[in-house]
Amino acid sequence: MRIPLSWLREYVPVSVPTAELAERLTVSTCEVERVSRIGVPDVNGNLGLYRVGRVVDAAKHPNADRLQLCRVDVGEPEPREIVCGAWNFGAGATVPVALPGAILPDGRTLERARLRGTVSDGMILSERELELGLDHTGILVLPDPWEPGTPLADVFPLAEEVLEVETTPNRPDLLSVYGIAREVAALFGLELAPPPGRNPERVGDETPSLEIRDFDGCPRYVGRVFRDVRVAASPPWLKARLVAAGMRPISNVVDVTNYVMVALGNPLHAFDADTLRGGIVVRRADPGEELTTLDGVLRRLDPADLVIADHERGVAFAGVMGGLETEVRAESTTILLEAANFEPVGILRTSERHGLRTEGSNRWEKGVDPHLAPQAAALATELLVSLVGARWTGEAEVAGELPERPVIRLREDRVGVVTGLDVGRDEQDEILVGIGFALDAEGDVITPTWRARDVTREIDLVEEVIRIHGLDKVPSTLPLRRAMFGRVKNDQRLRRLVEDLLVGLGFAEAYTSSLVRDDPHPQALRLPDPLSAEQAVLRTTLVHGLLGAVRRNVDAGNEEVALFEIARVYLPTGETFPEEPRRVGAITHGGFTRAKGAVEVLHAALHLNARFERAANDLAHPGKSARLAGGWVAELHPALMPGGWGAFELDLDELFARVPERRVYEDVITYPAVHQDLAFVVDEDVLAGDLADAARAAAPPPPRPSFVRPASSTSIAAARSRPAASPSRFASRSSRRNERSPTRTRGPSGMGLWRRLLSASAPSSAPKPAISDPKLPIRGVARPRTGYLGSNLSHAEEDPQ
Amino acid sequence: VDVQALEREAQSAIAGASTTVALDDARVRYLGRKSELKQALRAVRDRETGMALNALRERLEAAVAARAAELERAELDRMLAEEFVDVTLPGEAQRRGHLHLITQIRREIEDVFLGLGYEVVDGNEVEDTWHLFDALNMPPEHVTRSPLHTLFLDGDVVLRTETSPSQIRVMESRPPPVYMVSLGRTYRRDTTDATHSPIFHQVEGLAVDRGITLADLKGTLLHLARALFGEDRDVRFTTDFFPFTEPSVGAAVSCFVCEGEGCRTCKFTGWIEMGGSGMVDPNVFVNVGYDPETASGFAFGLGLERIAMLRHGVPDIRLFWENDLRFLRQF
Repeated sequence: MRIPLSWLREYVPVSVPTAELAERLTVSTCEVERVSRIGVPDVNGNLGLYRVGRVVDAAKHPNADRLQLCRVDVGEPEPREIVCGAWNFGAGATVPVALPGAILPDGRTLERARLRGTVSDGMILSERELELGLDHTGILVLPDPWEPGTPLADVFPLAEEVLEVETTPNRPDLLSVYGIAREVAALFGLELAPPPGRNPERVGDETPSLEIRDFDGCPRYVGRVFRDVRVAASPPWLKARLVAAGMRPISNVVDVTNYVMVALGNPLHAFDADTLRGGIVVRRADPGEELTTLDGVLRRLDPADLVIADHERGVAFAGVMGGLETEVRAESTTILLEAANFEPVGILRTSERHGLRTEGSNRWEKGVDPHLAPQAAALATELLVSLVGARWTGEAEVAGELPERPVIRLREDRVGVVTGLDVGRDEQDEILVGIGFALDAEGDVITPTWRARDVTREIDLVEEVIRIHGLDKVPSTLPLRRAMFGRVKNDQRLRRLVEDLLVGLGFAEAYTSSLVRDDPHPQALRLPDPLSAEQAVLRTTLVHGLLGAVRRNVDAGNEEVALFEIARVYLPTGETFPEEPRRVGAITHGGFTRAKGAVEVLHAALHLNARFERAANDLAHPGKSARLAGGWVAELHPALMPGGWGAFELDLDELFARVPERRVYEDVITYPAVHQDLAFVVDEDVLAGDLADAARAAAPPPPRPSFVRPASSTSIAAARSRPAASPSRFASRSSRRNERSPTRTRGPSGMGLWRRLLSASAPSSAPKPAISDPKLPIRGVARPRTGYLGSNLSHAEEDPQ
Repeated sequence: VDVQALEREAQSAIAGASTTVALDDARVRYLGRKSELKQALRAVRDRETGMALNALRERLEAAVAARAAELERAELDRMLAEEFVDVTLPGEAQRRGHLHLITQIRREIEDVFLGLGYEVVDGNEVEDTWHLFDALNMPPEHVTRSPLHTLFLDGDVVLRTETSPSQIRVMESRPPPVYMVSLGRTYRRDTTDATHSPIFHQVEGLAVDRGITLADLKGTLLHLARALFGEDRDVRFTTDFFPFTEPSVGAAVSCFVCEGEGCRTCKFTGWIEMGGSGMVDPNVFVNVGYDPETASGFAFGLGLERIAMLRHGVPDIRLFWENDLRFLRQF
């Protein structure tokens, strides 16, 4: 909403600096987004260089066919010679003139210029040059014969400051200059003028036919008839105000309806009465009914749409937009003025249904005071009679039951209890009365009609009091606590641990969209009406978003790309709500081993064991893909992402649920560790993990700590590539056993143990005689190697050495 | 033997040895088996001479040891002086990762409120219209409830437009007091541009207890604003409207770029909008089964992207979703 200050001052004599006005309004009433200045810059007496001029004579410029050479009386002893390019005026016209030295609205300074051999001693101005309007087809001819030399600022506001305010939906009363004026008066203790509009005398007794068939949708309808209407352009001051308020001047009749809407907040409509067939009927649309609106669009109405109709057809979308056939045109002479009230929700629905938002619908959908219509009709009538020269010849009004004004008890201490700032009863009353509330005999508060929807409860009154009293006066305190539940919860701590760990491993955190084009899950939740096809499905995996982010980085030439994301996925359950587990997903350069290494460190940090087993995965390289509890780790299929990219995705909730609540101390002091490397030659398809499991199974039971760990993938791969070490169908598997021995043996140790280990190492499902029978010569060598590792021993070795 | 003369001579030879070799020569000469001193000691017959000679031996041995230590130290210094590195060369490269800027802001805010004894809640993103709208006192015709603003999965299942359903769920589950912040992803039907994204992150706070006031809200937001934007910040309330709070206030922080002088960041007002807030509307309390006469509380909501953009001068919200390492590695 744009509030021109000169217009505002017509209703309230506010004189504080504009910045202060804007600040107070922002704190107490509505946000002033900016103060804009339009028109002639008001600096250094610049306004004084703009005068009313009377054209003494005007003729074609002697040296130019398209220019006029005029002599213009600007109140000086001699008229000035001015060259002008417009031809829409002649001798005797009253025109606006800028004198040399004047700063024009566009910032240029007007010079005494020589044009085709003649000095032009000023400039005759168009509407657009004054920023009064948009018309630049000719200069602005003033309709009234003002005395030459009169400061132009006396004729209409030359310089205008405009408050651009953003109001909240609960305050439709602020969508008007008068509504803002009411707040300004209260905020600065100024007197508010009575609402604009006095009914002139009616000069006829016509009674237009009005019928409301739906009082829910239209509680009130005032219709007035005007005859001898002469449709023309509005006077400059009216145009200037509308332009300053952001409205486009159209014609005097339409401009008057818009002016009243901006002044008071009640949208009006004017019909060409001669095009109406019979009287006005307010009703819901008939099935299949159509209406061509003012914008020239033929619209099919919904039976829920409220229409203004005559006795034959719909003639307007009530409150939203008029119909094309009944609009006021240049040749219209009789008009029917509609000052009505419409119920907000219906207007909102119609406006949404048809994608049609107008200045009118914007006000109706927030709820306009039903008591405002007669005042709006009065102001429109006054202007139609005085500006348009129309005769007001008839009136009718139909109204349903109008809502009661709420009566509310405000306990004296309530403002202090809610806000922490005490405001005395007297001041409370003064504030409320200042913004239009009344007090009844018992001291209860009666809400004004224009706030009746919004202020219905004690708490609403508290807000009114504190906002006017000053939100800036509210002190800053902290709640006094008697109970406390807040602390870092386990899953928050663990989430941060995972985040920090991955960051430490060189991963950067990515945020990718939860809404995707496609998802591998066939039942993934799909939005019936998505923003776009790219954002249609709630994802069940993080990997696709990460893949897009990795591709973008590779394309950008970024190196060492490793990304992770922690976010929810949405797993369909068949019920109303999906499951929303939190996952961690990652993609990294360095292939399977780097991804798996990260997964392992992550498990170690959470004190969890990870068991990997081969498992196919549509995204994965068929030979480099594993499953583990809570997720998977793989190298991405080269067809999906070439270059050997490792990836994993784990369910954090599942992981965190397994994290031991407390770690129990393990002895660290007694003995140094014994370290053995063993190499086995086994069938190609024997997995290192199975071998290690066999070793664990063979080891004496806990609490003896004994770490069996296959050597790294790279060393296995290296072994595979050495034919000598892996004859034909066999590959070498190397195992490292970190054995805690109390005996500090230097010789071959634990052979008995290793024999048991080897016999246990065959997967039970597919016995491998070559390994399972300890008596068979093992192809390859178990190479026990002992040594001192820095670590410690605690439990006695069972096997004698 | 002239003990004094021998000592003078030996001491000066020890002190004069400038290398370990020279010192060793001196040691052999004066303390070696064939040295004058050792021979004299072997030949000694009377107790007094023996004591004097032994004392001399001890003094000379101490002098040799001290001189040896000096020479060793000098040798080490000489060696270290040659082991020169150019300390301005880069160290061994070690790639570190980076937390996303939004995560960093999320943690900062979590920590502020954990410090104030609040619970941190991260609720589900698919919600029903009761918890997202009805319980929050948003009437059926409220604009946010329109499919033009909200992403619906079906008639009453939606992607949350704010994190406040988590607050409703907590209040439904137990009586006051409640002190919580909810953080997470939220969704709106916004067309993507430099300042809008259909997916964004919010933090919303809720405090419900006896005697909570608007002043408590102001103090809490001031505490947060100072944590995020610096100790000199101030907080301003402006009147606002939300269905779930009454009174409703907009909270703004004094501009940290221009210190209130007026600049582009604060649009020349000296204040930067933080977000919406207010006192919990009594209808919300009724909806969760609290007594609005005894329970009172405040609520507020802020956008994490907005905070990040303001504080770090990030010009375009889309940067948060592009995940370009050249962006991520800046923070």
